[in-house]
Amino acid sequence: MTMTRFRPNHTPCNHTRREFLWNAGGGFAGLALADLLQAESATPGAHFPAKATRAVFLFMNGGPSHVDTFDPKPELDRLDGKSYSGDAKVGSNGRPIGHLMKSPFAFQQHGESGLPISDLFPHTAKHADDLCVIRSLHSDTAAHASGCLQMNTGAISIGKPALGAWLSYGLGSANRNMPTFVVMTDPRGGPIGSASNWSSGYMPATHQGTLFRSTGSPLLDLATPEGTTEKSQRASLDLLKNLNEQHLATRPEMSALADRIESYELAYRMQTEAAETVDLDKIDSQTKAMYGLDNPKTADFGRKCLITKQLLERGVRFIQLYSGGGHIEETWDGHTNCITNHRLHAGETDQAIGALMTDLKRSGLWDETLLIWGGEFGRTPTSEGVGKFGRDHNWHGYSMWLAGAGVKGGQAIGATDDVGFKAVEERHHVSDFHATILHLMGLDHRRLTFFHQGLDQRLTGVTEERHVIKKALA
Amino acid sequence: MRFLVFIALIILPQSWLSAGEIDYETEIKPLLKKRCVSCHGPLKQKAGLRLDAGKWIHAGGNDGPVLDEIVSRVSEQDEDERMPPEGPPLSAGEIEELKSWIAAGAKFPDHETVTESPDAHWSFQTIKSRPFPPGFENPIDAFVGKELGENGLDFSPKAGPGVLLRRLYLDVIGLPPTIAEQDAFLQNPNAEALIDDLLDRPGYGERWARHWLDAVRYADTNGYERDAIKPFVWRYRDWVIDSLNADKPYDRFVIEQLAGDELMDRSSESVIGTGFLRLGHWDDEPADPPTDRYDQLDDILNTTSQAMLGLTLACARCHDHKFEPLLQRDYYAMAAVFNPLERPRNGRTELAVPAGTRAEVSALQERDAKIAKLKSDFEREFLESGDSKLEKNVVAAFLKPKTKTQKEFVEKHREQLDKELAKAMPGDKIDALIAARPDLPMAYVWEEKSSDPPVTHLLIRGRPGNHGEKVDPAAPVILKVPANFSGSDKYTTRRRLGLANWIVDPENPLTARVIVNRVWMHHFGNGLVRTPNDFGLMGEAPTHPELLDWLAHWFVHEADWSLKKLHRLILTSRTWQQLSSGRNPDTDPDNRLLSRQNSRRLEVEAIRDSVLAVSGKLNRKMHGPHTYPSIPPQALEGHSDPEKIWKPLDENEASRRTIYAFVKRSLMLPMLEVLDICDTTQPSPGRRTTTVPTQALTLFNSEFVTRQSGHLATRLRAEAGEADAAQQIRLAFRLAVCREPTGEESKVMQEFLKEESLEELCRVMLNLNEFVYVH
Repeated sequence: MTMTRFRPNHTPCNHTRREFLWNAGGGFAGLALADLLQAESATPGAHFPAKATRAVFLFMNGGPSHVDTFDPKPELDRLDGKSYSGDAKVGSNGRPIGHLMKSPFAFQQHGESGLPISDLFPHTAKHADDLCVIRSLHSDTAAHASGCLQMNTGAISIGKPALGAWLSYGLGSANRNMPTFVVMTDPRGGPIGSASNWSSGYMPATHQGTLFRSTGSPLLDLATPEGTTEKSQRASLDLLKNLNEQHLATRPEMSALADRIESYELAYRMQTEAAETVDLDKIDSQTKAMYGLDNPKTADFGRKCLITKQLLERGVRFIQLYSGGGHIEETWDGHTNCITNHRLHAGETDQAIGALMTDLKRSGLWDETLLIWGGEFGRTPTSEGVGKFGRDHNWHGYSMWLAGAGVKGGQAIGATDDVGFKAVEERHHVSDFHATILHLMGLDHRRLTFFHQGLDQRLTGVTEERHVIKKALA
Repeated sequence: MRFLVFIALIILPQSWLSAGEIDYETEIKPLLKKRCVSCHGPLKQKAGLRLDAGKWIHAGGNDGPVLDEIVSRVSEQDEDERMPPEGPPLSAGEIEELKSWIAAGAKFPDHETVTESPDAHWSFQTIKSRPFPPGFENPIDAFVGKELGENGLDFSPKAGPGVLLRRLYLDVIGLPPTIAEQDAFLQNPNAEALIDDLLDRPGYGERWARHWLDAVRYADTNGYERDAIKPFVWRYRDWVIDSLNADKPYDRFVIEQLAGDELMDRSSESVIGTGFLRLGHWDDEPADPPTDRYDQLDDILNTTSQAMLGLTLACARCHDHKFEPLLQRDYYAMAAVFNPLERPRNGRTELAVPAGTRAEVSALQERDAKIAKLKSDFEREFLESGDSKLEKNVVAAFLKPKTKTQKEFVEKHREQLDKELAKAMPGDKIDALIAARPDLPMAYVWEEKSSDPPVTHLLIRGRPGNHGEKVDPAAPVILKVPANFSGSDKYTTRRRLGLANWIVDPENPLTARVIVNRVWMHHFGNGLVRTPNDFGLMGEAPTHPELLDWLAHWFVHEADWSLKKLHRLILTSRTWQQLSSGRNPDTDPDNRLLSRQNSRRLEVEAIRDSVLAVSGKLNRKMHGPHTYPSIPPQALEGHSDPEKIWKPLDENEASRRTIYAFVKRSLMLPMLEVLDICDTTQPSPGRRTTTVPTQALTLFNSEFVTRQSGHLATRLRAEAGEADAAQQIRLAFRLAVCREPTGEESKVMQEFLKEESLEELCRVMLNLNEFVYVH
């Protein structure tokens, strides 16, 4: 094999070695296995050293209300029942606009830092000193579809690679027996927009999120087909290998054929290793209880968080967990009654999230793992209709939190206005949030580019200057 | 072992770089192109300096030579002095590479392709007729052979009948030959006759339509929250299949897609072709409607310019193109062409329209008005006659709905009344009207509502509302071929017709080159230009410029835009028919000289269709609404509407060719997705080929492949004898890979069958490298 085979196009696209591989011969010549290449080194593509080598995105699908969770507003208590007098348009899609509504949830200060957190999250609150709440985020859209897309891909239109795809592309795989980017959805359904939220967009399909199931066989087509014994499966793979090697001998110059032979062996190992991550038999009952597996309400998300820890142990780069699926009240989309809605969804997830943090700390993974919490936007400080208890979408100001490797915890950054409607202090666009996540993973959002349609595309877009939220960094 | 060596080489490139020199072509030139050339290149020469070719780098700028200065300028600490002024500074590694290259003498190839000035760029020049070199019957071979000879190489030997047979079938119709077809060709291996035969089969259109659908980002749904099915969009897909099968000249093919509604000889068919304009994704609940409107126009413009012209014009939306001589004005001049279009819809519900001549459409409207009148007259009579079973007060409400309650009655009982009317009303008059004027096919298109165009402004920084100068439709200035937009009629602006006529003007330097290259790519795995959607300064130069131009000129002037003639010329060439495991893998590792055919993995459609063909279950029914292949329930779990989106399996329907399978933007069939189907939101330059373990899982463990393995086993028992293992193996090989097994292959498989089932063996056959590759 000579290197000249990989002569790149003379276009600006060949500025990283990985792209250079993908684009060689226009990308159609049968060249592959970038994930294998990346597998040989933990983070071959980082721009600078970083503590975080993997990340977990706890996606609160539907849009959790910031004024009921991490952004207390005493002024809202005072103005409860009054009309909103600000200049911006409240609410979305012509839904009825009610009066300002105070949060029914009590906020308390937690930890040494005294970070205020509502009583929806007693377990998360135990880790208050690790949380970096950003209270001044804003984005560009009132709708779930485009909102989820923007939170996941940086753009409100479909067809762009998700954050996890960018990390897979930028950092590669740390374990080639496992997918790099794993997604676990809610039993009630996926997020609106579905697979567009974990798409690899214009990048190779290798980087797209892989749906992972928390029970049964975790990956699509992972299990040996029904009716085939393990012995037959191995015998069939051996026969395939034998025949493929005879064929390869007739054209030994074609490394793509050798790659394909190898891919079946990798798949076979994946069968074992991926299946192990959902096997919780060896976990002690105390740990299971800590994650809430003994309670039907908390068991599903708890199971996913426990599996997440096992995936992190096996080097999976990016794991996204969805709380809430389908529509309206089955998600955090509390249009009808934000109180019962948030009690339900916080109640399902808080214990497991707290347990995951505890477990990561005691296992040492905490120092390498970044945690991200939040949804596609926040909710209005007004009720949806007079005398009602729902809240509408609010993309003018909302909160997310970061925790873990490289994050300066125990603080809240920025502020919304007195009632919590608009971000006013230290405003950060969602793309700044993305730039910060990339930075925490050792990637410069301006340098992490993928050449597509004549442009060096970025997660943070190409038209606006975006900035890392420096205060969030430890 | 070799495999591991290969990895090490890539991961540790410095190890081979340090041993030799920094390669200008692969290391330096791409870096300069990316970071420096927008200011120091063909478009701009700040400080009189160009850095886009070795000779100019050495020549320096207004202040003399720069080679000694480059490294210090890019490593400057002072941000105001540092180059480049925009974006992050060069990385330490990049600076080191520049330094080493300059230290070693800043070498570059003697025959570097340079673009003296943007308007001298090769693809912007008129395509001239030229003679082809002597010595070969087929002009393709003449050009390729000359180039090979000059490099001391020769063609690889011609592929034998077995190899050629399988390659031809998969290339042209995307299916392997049947046993009878194999026998017929092996007895009389007349390749020319077979090529004609295959190009005449309906399977040709089904295979090659998919290539075009890639370029125009076809999907059956809109994407986003509701991801609604585009009504009747499948008629466009069928239109592509039928147009290719009928060998519709490519110029006409282009015109119908852009302006089939504006033609003098407009027809149902030509109107359906304009479905092209509406294939993009569409958010029915846009965050920002004015921006969304421009995004939709941008989507059409981008697809048109990349798919038909090989231009990245969409990069000029916010400013003049940084790398190409395309102006922001050019962008809005093309946007003005599409600006009169409106999307037929009722709120979030998209509408289709009847497709036909204007006379046919208005006659149909008249007919429907008559039918509506008949119905309303009868309804009144029926209600007044007292024959209705509805309550009296409800009947009264229908006859004269005044109060709110009455209106609610009407709404509530409409369905009931309609049922009664359907029973009671004599159908003969309506039937007669319909018989006299049958329905027209429905088409999924955009429409122009008036011949009076809206004003189009250049948008400063691309921002809607930030109006710059008014812009009229025009062709990009750099191409120097004017377009004529003067022909509006009383219905539409006919701007799209002006654009379409300009695109297919024989003087247009891009159109023929771009389509000839696309066809070439699908026959060889690579185009003569390896960036098929980008023929600009940033695109790759052609490997065989003279051949490309000869083909493009011939295609327009002698083949009259006939794609089948182009296929025939390519397929009958020695260049195409040579072996893929041929000579020269070391001298010509990337096969840029075409000293052999390329082995290629099949696209997922051809793999899936081949599986069905071999198992004997392929349903050859053509055309019509999309089908629902079986989908694993797990794949539905990630969807926001898991119960509603996928119809249950009807195996016979699901066993149709993959081009008919549902392309849902929020849920791609996992097999298609994992095996590298293209992005459905952007014009695709071609398929990537990745090789990853999840593909092995899909092809080895999926319900689909397991099911087809079972069918194949049944077929082998029926056709090769219940108990004859050797014959079963022989038939399996011939069906799957069109050859007899070798002695060794037959032996290991017979051994296998002593312990394992025939079904297992069939599963192995459908996973062979040889089965998913074409050599």
